[in-house]
Amino acid sequence: MTGGLQRVASTILLVGVSFLLTALILWGSGYRVGDIFSGVIQGSMTATGAATSSIRWAIPLLLIGMGVVIGFRAGFFNIGGQGQFYVGACCALAVSLRWSDGPAPLVVLCGTLAAVVAGLAWSLLPGYLRVRFGTDEVLTTLMMSFIGALVLQYLTAGPLRNPSGTGQTAASERIPEAFRITDGSGVSATVLLLVGGVAVLVWLLLERTRFGLAMTLVGRNPTMARWQGVDVRRVGLVNFALSGALAGLAGAVELYGPAGRLVTGFSPEVGFTAVVVALVGLLSVGGTVVAAVFFGGLQSAILFLPIVTDLPPPALVLLHGMVAFLVTVKFRAVRLRRAGPASEAPTG
Amino acid sequence: MEQILATTLRSATPLVLVATAGVFAFRAGIFHLGLEGLMITGAFTTVAVAEATGSVELGILAAIGVCMALSAVYWWVIGPLGANVIIAGLGLTSIGLGGTAFALGAIFDRRGSLFTDVVLPRPVSGITSGPGVIVSEHSILVWITPLIVLAAWVVLRRSRFGLRLAAAGEYPFAARTAGVNPSIMRLQALLIAGALCALGGAELSVGALHNFTENMTNGRGFIAFVAVIFGAWHPIGAAFAGLFFGFADAIGIQSQINITERVPREFVLMIPFVLTIFAVWLGGLWRRRSLEAEAGYAELREPDY
Repeated sequence: MTGGLQRVASTILLVGVSFLLTALILWGSGYRVGDIFSGVIQGSMTATGAATSSIRWAIPLLLIGMGVVIGFRAGFFNIGGQGQFYVGACCALAVSLRWSDGPAPLVVLCGTLAAVVAGLAWSLLPGYLRVRFGTDEVLTTLMMSFIGALVLQYLTAGPLRNPSGTGQTAASERIPEAFRITDGSGVSATVLLLVGGVAVLVWLLLERTRFGLAMTLVGRNPTMARWQGVDVRRVGLVNFALSGALAGLAGAVELYGPAGRLVTGFSPEVGFTAVVVALVGLLSVGGTVVAAVFFGGLQSAILFLPIVTDLPPPALVLLHGMVAFLVTVKFRAVRLRRAGPASEAPTG
Repeated sequence: MEQILATTLRSATPLVLVATAGVFAFRAGIFHLGLEGLMITGAFTTVAVAEATGSVELGILAAIGVCMALSAVYWWVIGPLGANVIIAGLGLTSIGLGGTAFALGAIFDRRGSLFTDVVLPRPVSGITSGPGVIVSEHSILVWITPLIVLAAWVVLRRSRFGLRLAAAGEYPFAARTAGVNPSIMRLQALLIAGALCALGGAELSVGALHNFTENMTNGRGFIAFVAVIFGAWHPIGAAFAGLFFGFADAIGIQSQINITERVPREFVLMIPFVLTIFAVWLGGLWRRRSLEAEAGYAELREPDY
């Protein structure tokens, strides 16, 4: 598959260019890039607990990113992962706080189910509008994302607020310690098994089932897929549902794992970064795992960096933006245009 | 009531300016999700340059220059380089949000915000009671914005350039046949949009306020984009949509003071987003295709990348 290799090479090249540009900006602003680089290596791998922290940040990126892979495979630009993640986390929180005296495994199971259903519903509304009325899903998922962020803000500042909280930003009450599936590090065998299992299931679905093939077909050419007897509407609905369910699950894992409570506007970039992760992973499950660990490592490193250098954390947002800005560039398009005759007349 | 109307004008002006930018891009068939990034870049550059040189005019000119340069790069990436419009646009937004917050720390060694005494002139000020409050204390940009909207309408609907732009957006194939290069039209539309975003950002930082704050646009670029859709990608329509969202914002601010017990502010803030979902849905129902500029959009938005 030379085409596949070419895509991998061009993606690595583009990500490299994005890093280089960001490094140039940092260097131009007077930061020592060498120090930052060694800081990133320490903060993502070699320092105490750094590798664990990288995995901890990779987990939500991987779960939401696989949702993005599923969506984009079928040609649906479901970019509302952030909101689906938030409402998922909110529902899990509401279940856990309202039923805080229940048996831990049962409550966690119910909370996770609630999160999955909430994320699914948050995604299914734009999905239904898309497949039934042809409503543009880029806008509707984006809007649902903003609404989800406001729901979180409302709940953490209102009904579920921890009244004794003293922090600047509003935060909810903590869920009972018994419900946590990890310690503060956010990594445990349970979580790794869960996320690994989900990744394998998604891979099986996409690469080894007729339904996965149907999704890819719909993404390539919906008209053709319809002619071949694919129920495009059903595929679309299931597609949106799966994307949302994965993002909702990520919300539950965040709550029961490292967070333990919800803070207004937590992980504000995760939905967008997950899109970047899925694109860098070339919309394949394996690639997304690699990309999620990579970007998780960067996230972990940026939290570590203040220890070695005074780099402002927004530099990471800048880097993500750079990667997103460039990662979809098509080299083939450039070559074709150069090779083709200059058929377009200049205008006055 | 006067206070609400005055706040409406103040909150709506940046929205209207950026929505006008969005209309230009939309007419050219570009789903411009980078508006937010350009807006915050405009806000930051204005404050930074105004603070450094002491001249707000220079600040605004610099902001326009930077935003137009970024827009040109955006055009290059989505046009000749064939990147995905939506992803690159969101990337542009992150570059703007991250880049300005980073620059604030790197250049001014500040976290959070940067204050400035150099602000836009306010033609009418000092009125504290009566209906005069509505027009008092607004920056010069608030007064100019209606003229900009009118100019945008004339350019888009009554000029050769505007009609060519619409052709390039709606049906690039036909535009090409008529000797119009859609790619160049897109560049021009994006440059105009960049300049307008810079103005919107400047109004936010040195018009209504005296400072630049990290993430101060707070989703306004997206709300402006929403106003474009809600206003049926017509400059006047988008302006009224922007005005309406400004009104909703003013009510939200007011409700925080008066009626918090009854209506939480978050629900008021949801209004634009909920309305947009309805607008996009209805738009799709009324015309079979939800987007007038769909063909140009489709030319850029290819499923295979």
